[in-house]
Amino acid sequence: MTATLEIKDLHVKVADTEILKGVSLTIRQGEVHAMMGPNGSGKSTLAYAIAGHPHYEITGGDILFDGQSILDMAPDERAKLGVFLAFQYPVAIPGVSFANFLRAAVSNVRGYKEKARAGVSSNGETGAKVIGSELMPMREFRQELLAKMDRFNVDRAFARRYLNDGFSGGEKKRGEVLQMAMLEPKIAILDESDSGLDIDALRVVSDGINKLVADGMGALLITHYQRILNYVKPDKVSVFYNGRIVLTGGPEIAHMLEEKGYGWVETEMGELAPAAPDHA
Amino acid sequence: MNIQELTQERYSLAAVRAISEQYQEPEWLRQARLAAWEAFMALPWPDYSEETWRRTRLTGFNLEQFPPAASDLPAAADRQALPADLARNLAMIQSAGALVFSDDRLIYADLDADLAGRGVIFTDLRTALRQHEEVVRAHLGALAPAGENKFAALHYALWRNGAFLYAPPHVALEKPLQVITQVSGGQALFPHSLFIGAENSEVTIVEDFVGGARGLCNGVVENYPMAAARLHYLHLQNLETSAWNVSTMRAAAQRDALYRQLQASWGSRLSKVWIDLEMEGPGSHGELLGLYFPQGRQHIDHHTNQNHKREHATSDLLFKGALDDKSRSVYQGIIRVWPGAQKTDAYQKNDNLILSAGARADSIPGLEIEADDVRCTHGATSAKVQDEYLFYLMARGLGRKTAKRMIVQGFFEEVLNRVPVQGVRDKLEAEIAKRVGLE
Ligand SMILES: Nc1ncnc2c1ncn2[C@@H]1O[C@H](COP(=O)(O)OP(=O)(O)OP(=O)(O)O)[C@@H](O)[C@H]1O
Ligand SMILES: [Mg+2]
Repeated sequence: MTATLEIKDLHVKVADTEILKGVSLTIRQGEVHAMMGPNGSGKSTLAYAIAGHPHYEITGGDILFDGQSILDMAPDERAKLGVFLAFQYPVAIPGVSFANFLRAAVSNVRGYKEKARAGVSSNGETGAKVIGSELMPMREFRQELLAKMDRFNVDRAFARRYLNDGFSGGEKKRGEVLQMAMLEPKIAILDESDSGLDIDALRVVSDGINKLVADGMGALLITHYQRILNYVKPDKVSVFYNGRIVLTGGPEIAHMLEEKGYGWVETEMGELAPAAPDHA
Repeated sequence: MNIQELTQERYSLAAVRAISEQYQEPEWLRQARLAAWEAFMALPWPDYSEETWRRTRLTGFNLEQFPPAASDLPAAADRQALPADLARNLAMIQSAGALVFSDDRLIYADLDADLAGRGVIFTDLRTALRQHEEVVRAHLGALAPAGENKFAALHYALWRNGAFLYAPPHVALEKPLQVITQVSGGQALFPHSLFIGAENSEVTIVEDFVGGARGLCNGVVENYPMAAARLHYLHLQNLETSAWNVSTMRAAAQRDALYRQLQASWGSRLSKVWIDLEMEGPGSHGELLGLYFPQGRQHIDHHTNQNHKREHATSDLLFKGALDDKSRSVYQGIIRVWPGAQKTDAYQKNDNLILSAGARADSIPGLEIEADDVRCTHGATSAKVQDEYLFYLMARGLGRKTAKRMIVQGFFEEVLNRVPVQGVRDKLEAEIAKRVGLE
C-alpha cells in the first residue's frame, strides 16, 4: 500500500499572524513534489505545520496521513507514522552524540519500546524485560549505520560527533539525509536540503534523495533553485506565493521561474491567484 | 557513650572536652579543640550582608535540634555483610581499597595487600592518630583552619572521625580508593577527610556521603598533593534532600602537582560548600569540576577560590547545573592571582540550565589579579531548554521526556567526559537520568 500525505485547505497562524492561507497538496510515496517560492512566503511554515511544531497554530483545514488526521498528534507520533522533516536550519545540540541520538530515534520509530513493553526482546524472543531492550541492539544499529554512511556518502566520523555541533552548513544537510536514510520515512519534507551546498555535496544529497525515492519514499522538495532539479527529477512542481500554492505543473515551471524570477509570479499570478476558500 | 551522656548540653565547652576525654586525645589536639570552640563562640552566625551568605539563608536551621550522630550499624567482616545499598554502592566502582563509615564509626575497611605493603595508609582518622600521630598533627587543620568560618570552627571542636589516606612518595595507585559515609538521620555529623599524596605519588579517591535525612552534615576536607603528586578527589554528596550540608574543602597543590576535584552536589535541602584551591607551588595544575541538579526546593551554594600564589600554575574550573521546580543555585567563584604569580593561566566557567520557570540560578564570577603577565578567563551562562531543540528531537521520533533527558544529559556531557573513573561516570549518569525522569 502506498501512503499518502494530504494537506487540505490548511490555514496556519504564527504569533497571531496568518501565514498559510489555504494550502492544499497531496504527496504520495514514490513521488517527488518540488515546491518553489520566494523568501518569507511560508514554505517552512508549511513544513513545520506538517511535522507538528507547537508554535504553529492550525486555524483551519486538515493534514491527513492515509486518510487519518494527524493534527492531534505530537511530533514524535508523526515521525512514527513515517513523516520526516529535513530541517532548513538543523539545530546543534552540544553533548548529544549523533550516534546515540540516532539509535534512540530509530529505536522509537521502529517500535523497540513497544516490543520491550510487551516483553519481546530484540531478537524476537518473549521473556523478561531486559535493561536497554528499548533500544535497537548496539551491534545491529552500528552495522546498519556504517552501511548507510557508506551508501549515502557520509563520513564515518559523524557518528562520534555531537549532533550538528560545529557542523558546516553542508555537513548539517548531509546529516539530515543520513538521519532520513536511517529512519526510513514514507513521506519526507525536505526544506531547502540543497541550500548552501557546493556541487559535490549537492550530488551527495540529491543522490541520497533519489535512492530513498527509488526505495519508495515520497518527497516534498522545497527549494529556491532549479539546479537540484537537474539531479532529482520532480513529478510535479508547485509555486508557493504569499501563503498559498498559486500554480502547479511539471518540471518546466521550475525553468520558467529560474528565467523570470518571482517577479513574474507577482505580476502574472498576483491577480490570477485563486482566492482563499474562506473568501470564496 | 556519646556527648549527651557525658554532659547536659549538646553544644558546650564541656561537650568539646568530653570528646578529648573519651578518646584520651593528645594535648595538642585537646588544645586545638578548645581553640576551635573559642573561635566558634567568637564568630557570628552568618550575616546575610556578608558576600558569601548574601544569597543563602539558613532559615529554619537550629543547631541545638541535632544530637551528635550515634551509629547503630554493626561492623561488617566483608563487603557482602554490609547493608545491601552500601554493598551495591561499593560494587559500582572497581577500587583498590574501601572505607565504610556509619557516622563516626568505621564499620568496614579493606585495602589491596600489595599497596599496604608499599606503605599506603588508608584508614580512619582515629586509627591514623594512634598509629601516625605526627603525620596527622602536621596536617590536620593546617590547610583549612578552624577560624575559616563558623561551621569549620564547630567542626574542629566536635569532629570524631573521618577518612585518612597517605600515599608514600613515588607510589601510583592504578585503581581508585573508595570512602562511603552513611549518615544517620536527624543528627549532626562532623566528618573530617584528610588525604595526603606524597611527592610524585598518584591516587584517586572517591568519597560518597549518603543518608542524613533531617540532619546536619558539617564536614571538612583537606587534600595535600605534594610536589609532582597527582591527586584526584571525587566528592559525591548524595545526602537525603532533607539534610543540611555544610562543607569546607581545601587543597594545596605543591610544585608541579596535579590536583583534580569533582564535586557532585546532588542531595541536601541546603548545601553551603566552599572549595579552595591553593596553587602553592610553581607549575602546579588544578582542575575543579562541579555538577548539581537541584529539584523541589533544594538550595545548592558553591563558593570557589582559585588562589594562584606562584608562577606558571594553571587552574581550570567548570561547574554545570540544571535546575528544576523551585530550586535555587548560587555559584560564587573567584580567581586570585598574587603579585609575582606570573604566567598564571586560570579559567573559570559556570553554566546553568533552567528547566522550570520557578527555578533560579545566581552566578557571580570574579577576578582579583595582582600580576601582569597572566591569562585569566571567566564566564557564566544561563539558558532554558529551548523548544527548538525539543522539536528537532521529537520530529525524529523521540518522546518529549526522552528528548528533554538527552538535552540535559548533553548539557552535562562536558563535565562527564572529564570524570576519570568510569564507575563514577555511570553513577552520575544514573543520577541525572533519575532526575530528568525516564519515560
Ligand atoms: N516564529 C515566528 N514568529 C513570527 N513570525 C514568523 C515565525 N516563523 C515564521 N514567521 C513569519 O512567517 C513568514 C513565513 O516564514 P517561512 O519561514 O515559512 O518562509 P519561507 O518561505 O520558508 O522563507 P525562506 O525561503 O526564507 O526560507 C515570514 O514572514 C516569517 O517572518
Ligand atoms: Mg524556509
